[in-house]
Amino acid sequence: MNEDKLLPNEDYSKCQELTNCDSGSHTNCKGSCGEISIPKSKKHFAVINPSKMCQPMGAVQVLLGIEGAMPLIHGSQGCSTYLRFQMCRHFREPVNISSTSMSESTVVYGGEENLLKALDTIWREYKPKLIGVTSSCLTETIGDDMGLIIRKFRSKHPDEELPPIIPISTPSYSGSHVDGYDKAVKSLLENMAVQNQTNSKINIITGNISPADIREIKEILEIMKCSSIILTDNSESLDAPHTDSVSFLPPAGTKVNEIIDSANSKATISLCKHANSGAKFLKKRFDVKSISGPLPVGLKNTDKFISAICKIQNCDLPEKLEKDRGRLIDTIIDAHPYNYQRKVAIYGDPDVVSGLAGFTAELGMIPTVVCTGAESNRFMDDMKEVAKESPTKPSVMEGCDLYDLQNYIKDNPVDLLIGNSYGARIANEENIPLFRVGFPIYDRMGAQRIPIVGYSAGISLVDTLANMILEKYYDASGWEIE
Amino acid sequence: MKNSSKKFNGSESLKSTAKEPLKELKSSESPQNDDLIITEVPDSIIKTLESRIDHMCVKKDEGDERGPSCNMASVPGAVTQRSCVYGGARVVLMPITDAIHLVHGPIGCASCTWDIRGSRSSGEELYKKGFSTNLQEKDIVFGGEKKLFDTIIELNGIYNPAAIFVYSTCVVGLIGDDLKSVAREAEEITKCRIIPVQSEGFRSFNKSLGHQLACDAMLDHLIGTGELEKPEKLGLGQKSLASTQEKGPTLNIVGEFNVAGDLWAIQPLIEKMGITVQSAITGDSCVEEIANAHRADLNIVQCQKSSNYLARQMEEKYGIPHLKVNFFGIEDTGKSLLSIADFFQDQYPEIREIAEKIIETEIKKVRSEISHYKTRLTGKRVAVYVGGNKAWSLISAFEELGMKVIMTGTQNGLPEDYHRIMETVSEGTLVVDDANSMELAKLLKKYHPDLIVSGAKEKYMAHKLGIPFCDFNHDRISSFASFNGFINFAKEVDRAVSSPVWKLTSKYYQGIV
Repeated sequence: MNEDKLLPNEDYSKCQELTNCDSGSHTNCKGSCGEISIPKSKKHFAVINPSKMCQPMGAVQVLLGIEGAMPLIHGSQGCSTYLRFQMCRHFREPVNISSTSMSESTVVYGGEENLLKALDTIWREYKPKLIGVTSSCLTETIGDDMGLIIRKFRSKHPDEELPPIIPISTPSYSGSHVDGYDKAVKSLLENMAVQNQTNSKINIITGNISPADIREIKEILEIMKCSSIILTDNSESLDAPHTDSVSFLPPAGTKVNEIIDSANSKATISLCKHANSGAKFLKKRFDVKSISGPLPVGLKNTDKFISAICKIQNCDLPEKLEKDRGRLIDTIIDAHPYNYQRKVAIYGDPDVVSGLAGFTAELGMIPTVVCTGAESNRFMDDMKEVAKESPTKPSVMEGCDLYDLQNYIKDNPVDLLIGNSYGARIANEENIPLFRVGFPIYDRMGAQRIPIVGYSAGISLVDTLANMILEKYYDASGWEIE
Repeated sequence: MKNSSKKFNGSESLKSTAKEPLKELKSSESPQNDDLIITEVPDSIIKTLESRIDHMCVKKDEGDERGPSCNMASVPGAVTQRSCVYGGARVVLMPITDAIHLVHGPIGCASCTWDIRGSRSSGEELYKKGFSTNLQEKDIVFGGEKKLFDTIIELNGIYNPAAIFVYSTCVVGLIGDDLKSVAREAEEITKCRIIPVQSEGFRSFNKSLGHQLACDAMLDHLIGTGELEKPEKLGLGQKSLASTQEKGPTLNIVGEFNVAGDLWAIQPLIEKMGITVQSAITGDSCVEEIANAHRADLNIVQCQKSSNYLARQMEEKYGIPHLKVNFFGIEDTGKSLLSIADFFQDQYPEIREIAEKIIETEIKKVRSEISHYKTRLTGKRVAVYVGGNKAWSLISAFEELGMKVIMTGTQNGLPEDYHRIMETVSEGTLVVDDANSMELAKLLKKYHPDLIVSGAKEKYMAHKLGIPFCDFNHDRISSFASFNGFINFAKEVDRAVSSPVWKLTSKYYQGIV
């Protein structure tokens, strides 16, 4: 392993093995590549049972991780109401997203008046510490210049101390919630980050992972005595303790000052490769080192994450983590007879899917098919990395939906399904157990508390998967069902 | 302006307090529970938003039927509980089980709304799938008609559905895709009913327009097109459309969406009276049933919020009279059955007696089964914040459990809805239109009811404040309609109100609850 290459490299996963790339068809690959197959969808136009959401969904999730922030969707009421509905039932927390409530009469004259009024209402009613304004397909199409309107609002209140008001362009007709997340982080940093004094912190752009995952990451950083800026931290707001009170704005999370200070950090680690635009911006503008992905799921990916931090911090692996790591290996070995060559299908957000695919391959399972609704070359590259560890060629579906996935599974049966609640019907119809992870999970308790990153979360993940296999494929006496 | 003087102390006091932010509300500041009757609209709730003052009122005496201001755009920037026109249309049509519900728009409109309505089916499951044309930037620039056409042809090839409903979304309205002509063209090729629904999300702040547009889609393209005298029900299961019975009295159950199986509790009672249910619009329905809905003798309207319009139009077009019914609550269920019996009495004189017998037996059964719940629930106070007709139809249902509704409201009420609400509620009930989430939290905190009945978005806010919550929307898990449903309802309410978990909250220890 070439250590010098670890830090400055865009992607730390790519410098782990520097052998020749034999397939070589894709960009960025410095390692040897595994082969994947790309199954053809049986349809050309329709999306059936989507496996992605629209950009504002991702952007709003970023904003809800900022202390005292109010997300505002510049669009029809339905946009904010349906996002709230989805998030409330997943996180089981109150979620507030305000709307500019565009209607026919206001669309005709442009959205300026509504946006100005909305900013005024939010400012007076909620006194937020930050307002994040995301656009929608409606207001993008009528061509509202949100930056201009926000400046107009500021000039109307010259003497008042207004909070940062950040425009985030999230047209729903391009990309997906994954891009919306990425754009929101980038817009926050572009508009707010200011370089002055170095702060010896590491920025962590989490990507769209669960509050429990963020808590795991924070714990690891604490063990490593690494001070950090989490962009953004919803672990308190979207899995909040009961206090006999209700907050309209996230009561905790990333502080506005921390976002400003992020330009002074030593490095930025984007846990999800698809959420690294903000890190790229900090690198380009303020020369903050940038490292992206892979999501630290499983042994090797967590190793990569932790060794990256060790190098930045110039420290050794703390004993606590070393023990956790050993325990994870122990668990994997103990569970291997049940996991060996079990076929899995995984769907969801690209980084979560490729991370879990890598982990299942480590366990001796076969990631038979993976599917993401987002369109992404990076995902294809990541899966080629995973393919190196897999005994058979994984089938990789990007820009696909759950209809495509189910068709594939019908022809190529799998033993286990991993993904969000929308796959429950597939699990039922094809008689496969479903391990729920990702967003949304509305038919089981605890969606906000499912961790998959780091060693200790890995341990319970291995236990859970192996137990699901035992439950389904072994009888009460412990014999494997033929 | 009968109510205005008691609502606030003048605009100056409003402005003077307007600067105090109210980001967090401690529920422990709530008043004593013996504060049973609300006498004034609480100005502390509304002082920050003057435009909201007229949207709240308190019923003063029996003759007081003037409701709050309503049917107005929400204040931009508020966390509105309202949905869009597309959402309104979708909830009405989505329960049609053997149709494809294709959302013509960017992916979000479909991916946030597929399979969310808890409408159950006894047969087809096609309606539960999420279909989208997934419009991309280039479609916005060059138009999405071609893509829509290709998508319809493709989906028809895959599923051979009974119909394809095509919903228009905000952006489609802006780029001006002609849904009607695409639908016509595709229908000629596929020979499948392709039904356009002009439900651009931004067309109104009130999703009731969406309900109406959905009804229009059925009226223009479906109802009256069926050629079968007695359509064969495709699905099996619990529903038994009497296709081979000789022709007796028939009716449509309009505005019943079979959420959690409500229809399956209502329909057997009607059938016991010797009446054939021609179609339910739209719960657990199939396309062919609705196509033949014009053959019924009577329409009974359960959700009057969404479907009065449809019943009125059918009366005009096909001469089918309609009755407003309410199958929530024992008494109202009984009254509804009797009014149906009365309608058919000239033709079938024995029907009244049958109905009375059914009611007598059922009420006896229900009263005995709910008695132990009632002991625990009597005297508890309820806040109702729902969409549609539930704002008034639940009031007497709670009275039957010995509970008192102290506050009620809807997101999208029209003047006639509030007229109905004011008629039904008792003195000292607070009526609120289009409450935003902050107002709702303030009201809960101020009056600390023993239960709030609402939808999923309000659930966790109530839980955080330590207030028991009962879902009366898409997410509920048991049928609440008719006599049997009332037992489930009592059970659900008891499950929420009487659980010991509320004793774990800190305010319980402070002796406030």
